[in-house]
Amino acid sequence: MKITWSWLGEYVDLSGLTPEQVAAGLTDAGIPVEWMEPFVTGVQGVVIGHVISAQPHPDADRLRVCEVDVGQEQHLTIVCGAPNVAALQKVPVAVVGSRLPGGPIGKSKLRGIVSEGMICSAGELGMPVRLMAKEQTDGILVLPDDAPIGKAIVEYLSFDDRVMELELTPNRSDCLSLRGVAYEVGAIFHRTVTMPQVTLQDVRANGPAVSLSAEIDTPHCSAYAAQAVTGLTIGVAPIWMQMRLLAVGVRPISNLVDITNYVMFEWGQPLHAFDYDTVSNGKLVVRQAFLGEQLTTLDGHERALTPEMTVIADAHHALGLAGVMGGANSEVTERTRTVAIESALFDPLQTRRTSRALQLRSEAGVRFEKGPDPAAVTSALARAVQLMCAYAGGEIASTPVMVGRDLREDAVQEREVTVSPARVAAFLGVAFTPDELHSVVQRLGFQAFDEGDIMRVRVPSRRFDIAIEEDMIEEFARLLGYDRIPATVMEGPLTPGKLTLRQSLRRELRQHLLAAGLQEVWTYALVSEQAAQKALIPSDHPLAHMGALQNPISEDRRLLRSTMLLPLLDVAQYNANRRMQDIRIFEIGTVFHPYRLPMDVQPAEMQVLAGVLTGHAYAPSAHGDARKLDFYDAKGMVEGLLQRTGIAGQVTWSRSQEPFLHAGRSVDISVGGIRIGLVGQLKSAVAKAYDLETVFYFELEMDALTALVKAELHVTELPRFPSVERDLALVAPRDMPVQTLLDAVWGHGGTELREVTVFDVYTGERIDSAHKSVALRLHFWHMERTLTDDEVARYMEQVLAAAATFGVSLRG
Amino acid sequence: MIEQLQALQERALARLQEVAANEDLARFENWRVEFLGKKGELSTALRAMGSLSAAERPLVGQVVNDVRAALESAYTAAYAQCLAVVQLRQEESEALDVTLAGRTPFVGAEHPLQKVIRRIEEIFVGFGFTVEEGPEVELDYYNFEAMNFPKDHPARDMQDTFFVGPDLLLRTHTSPVQARTMEKRHPQVPVRIIAPGKTYRRDDDDATHSHAFSQVEGLVIDHGVRMSDLKGMLLAFARQMYGENQEVRLRPSFFPFTEPSAELDVRCIYCGGSGCNTCKQTGWIEILGCGMVHPNVLRMGGYDPAQVSGFAFGMGVERVAMLLYQVTDIRQFYLNDLRLLQQFVGLIR
Ligand SMILES: [Zn+2]
Repeated sequence: MKITWSWLGEYVDLSGLTPEQVAAGLTDAGIPVEWMEPFVTGVQGVVIGHVISAQPHPDADRLRVCEVDVGQEQHLTIVCGAPNVAALQKVPVAVVGSRLPGGPIGKSKLRGIVSEGMICSAGELGMPVRLMAKEQTDGILVLPDDAPIGKAIVEYLSFDDRVMELELTPNRSDCLSLRGVAYEVGAIFHRTVTMPQVTLQDVRANGPAVSLSAEIDTPHCSAYAAQAVTGLTIGVAPIWMQMRLLAVGVRPISNLVDITNYVMFEWGQPLHAFDYDTVSNGKLVVRQAFLGEQLTTLDGHERALTPEMTVIADAHHALGLAGVMGGANSEVTERTRTVAIESALFDPLQTRRTSRALQLRSEAGVRFEKGPDPAAVTSALARAVQLMCAYAGGEIASTPVMVGRDLREDAVQEREVTVSPARVAAFLGVAFTPDELHSVVQRLGFQAFDEGDIMRVRVPSRRFDIAIEEDMIEEFARLLGYDRIPATVMEGPLTPGKLTLRQSLRRELRQHLLAAGLQEVWTYALVSEQAAQKALIPSDHPLAHMGALQNPISEDRRLLRSTMLLPLLDVAQYNANRRMQDIRIFEIGTVFHPYRLPMDVQPAEMQVLAGVLTGHAYAPSAHGDARKLDFYDAKGMVEGLLQRTGIAGQVTWSRSQEPFLHAGRSVDISVGGIRIGLVGQLKSAVAKAYDLETVFYFELEMDALTALVKAELHVTELPRFPSVERDLALVAPRDMPVQTLLDAVWGHGGTELREVTVFDVYTGERIDSAHKSVALRLHFWHMERTLTDDEVARYMEQVLAAAATFGVSLRG
Repeated sequence: MIEQLQALQERALARLQEVAANEDLARFENWRVEFLGKKGELSTALRAMGSLSAAERPLVGQVVNDVRAALESAYTAAYAQCLAVVQLRQEESEALDVTLAGRTPFVGAEHPLQKVIRRIEEIFVGFGFTVEEGPEVELDYYNFEAMNFPKDHPARDMQDTFFVGPDLLLRTHTSPVQARTMEKRHPQVPVRIIAPGKTYRRDDDDATHSHAFSQVEGLVIDHGVRMSDLKGMLLAFARQMYGENQEVRLRPSFFPFTEPSAELDVRCIYCGGSGCNTCKQTGWIEILGCGMVHPNVLRMGGYDPAQVSGFAFGMGVERVAMLLYQVTDIRQFYLNDLRLLQQFVGLIR
């Protein structure tokens, strides 16, 4: 919402105040002034001139030599290139020594003739030309005939008026009008507010009279007021009105339209003017649109209406979309002599839906959506009629028409809010005095009545945001100053602050990975439609079934990620393309698994700890031992996490079938038959799609880990008797997983077998190609005594016998 | 005899000096055998004592012992000195270029947004708060309705929303966690929670807007909670987060779920309040929105606003991080350029 300083001053006494003070006051009271600047800057010394004559330049076809009276003794000779310059015009003249936004003006010689200044266009003056009519911006700016010669243009066109942009919160739509802002300024600075005193008038005795009536035939319009004005001359609005509208960002169009806009800004009540002669029998009907009804709106677009939209119609067809935009068929034109002016209350919801459906946003729509003040409906109508009579030659041509709820100012109900000063004190933690509370009520222009321990506050309808005691508490606090609220220490019982197990685990694992040299990243949850395909995830794979946004902002951010793989690979690619070789990243992020597509219920949201690793196993150094990461580095990273979680012993590993992973170098991680994660090398085609070489991916489901995590520990007693170690060098079939062998060893090594380590696996020249050698070390101990050689030998025999059933033998 | 012994001592010490000068440890042993060994000169002298008279014997014996002690002590000192020299020479020959970098491990850094969230969590956990979480795909009810945004209310325009299904959306703020917490806990008090999490708005990404961002929400409900308690709590927070001497100021604002509502400013952490570009010359920096929980929100959460009151606050994590680390483009947090993220390795807090 934009306002200007001079305009505001029409309604509230600003004497002794500076624009800066008022801006600061509004900001402190919760109506932040986002910026404040003069309407037009950079103009100095430009005055109004009268073109006495305009003769063709003897040596240039397109130039005119003008004699211009700027109120000085001597007329000036000014060479002008604008085709629209003509004798008898009033024009802005930048005399020698004046200044325009483009720079200072001096004498200049144009094709042999000295020009003593310059006749200015609107653009050269720095005016907002995009809001101005083509006639005003093509060529020089022609001023009204009554513009006083010699007067400073800055003053005449209000260039020095201050424009303020107010950043209104949705509750303060009362300040979508100068009236609302005036009351707010009045409340802040204890100033009186004076709105134009206008009331609806009847037709003058023996004056012109037309028939005007209205009918409401829809629940979506609560009140409808209208009046006819005739004898109009459609032309331009007074220059001061045009300048104010321009300053607040409204395009001046004609005196009639400008007046409706001016009054809308003044009162917050949108108005509409119909060309009376287009309204059949002078009867306006507010009704819902018919199915299939069409209307060409003022902007020239043909709109297909639906029964959800409210229209203003005559007996034959729709004339306008209620509260949204008028129809071309009833538009005010140059030939219009009589208008019907409408001031009504339309259903905010309905208006909002209609303007959304048609994607029509207008100043009127914005105000209807918020619901204007019922008490302003008739005042605004009366004010518009008054201005049309004053500035468009109009005359009242009908009795005011009012249907629907009673809108007379005293009939509009004030709301009553009960306030307990004791509760105000208890709620804010500061005890304002009764006098202070009353003064706030008075400053706001409200009324208060004391009734025992409580105050009954009567709130005028313009402040529809105030409905409950808390709303009044806010008014007290903000107008007496939030600074009055002290800082106190909360009372009440002590509560232990703590993290949940899941939260603690997240921290532990994060710290673990950071120490292990992985960088934490944060990626977007929204991925592109092509993301799954890029990672070679087939369209029938569960991970390809991602929930979609109904209203995405771009195709790149359309789907809710089903796996951390996709965003993490994007990060890896981004960094690889910036010549990073060692990319070790992880994220604990949310993935979304919809139950059905399209989604109609919340998807399963799972937190996943996932990482991508590529490059060296250790940071390359000068010491000649650089090595690239391999599968076992990645798996070891995950094993570290599992140890950290205390569940390494419960995990089983089995070959993974994921389509994006290397078939022979990837593994699913399960506990109790349920997969909780995976780790593996990516398929080379996937790596290539992301500009990567050998790259590893791992993920672990945080909820599964949390369910399994060890939160308590009772230490096992240490053995007091020496342990016995035995090494086994075995020959096993080459493709037999070592895990099979380990399972056999653990299954047959007896209760005193405590540890088994694999300390070598060998394939190569020294063994035939169908076999590999596996070296194990077995540790036995007994808690109560020293084991005898015989006992251990017996266990070892059992182990060997079991291994033999898999074709494993002692290496000879 | 005594003179012989003294001559022996002098000779032995002179030889020891020669040996030491050679810096050869093997020769020390030769010297020891020659003078102090079982067949060495001193032992020989001792054996010769048998020929002395009983009166002379103790006297000479004393001298023998003195000479032995002197030689042994001289030997030990000289040997130690020589050993040190020899070892030093050995170590010099093994010297490495110690200025050359070691086998430096990779070191990861917490993501800056995570770091900010963790700091905020730590502060509020210290104040007796617990940490709650909620879903990112949220029901319209929790995101809007229970937060006192009626259907079709213009206040919803403040938060342009991504929809994913009927009444299903990406949460536009962490406030639905307030509603979920109240639903779960009512009518128990006190409620003291914070809720960090990711949120979404249908904004085009640019230097100051991101379609995905994070917030930390806070909610307190108890008997007799005052707006001054809100100020006190947030002042305590600001002092831990932004410096011991911080001051705060509340400015009126609007949120559908609080009444009264406020923005909280802290003294500019760069100029301390004198005015600079970061604070646009105001001396203050806005860090969060807050207010007293709206009675409608309490009621929908199962609490009676006549019995209890509460306050809530919410802050944008990116904003805090941009402020603390002078990041000028919000997209940097999600671009994950390792050259940027790795700068956080050395930051302790
Ligand atoms: Zn500053």
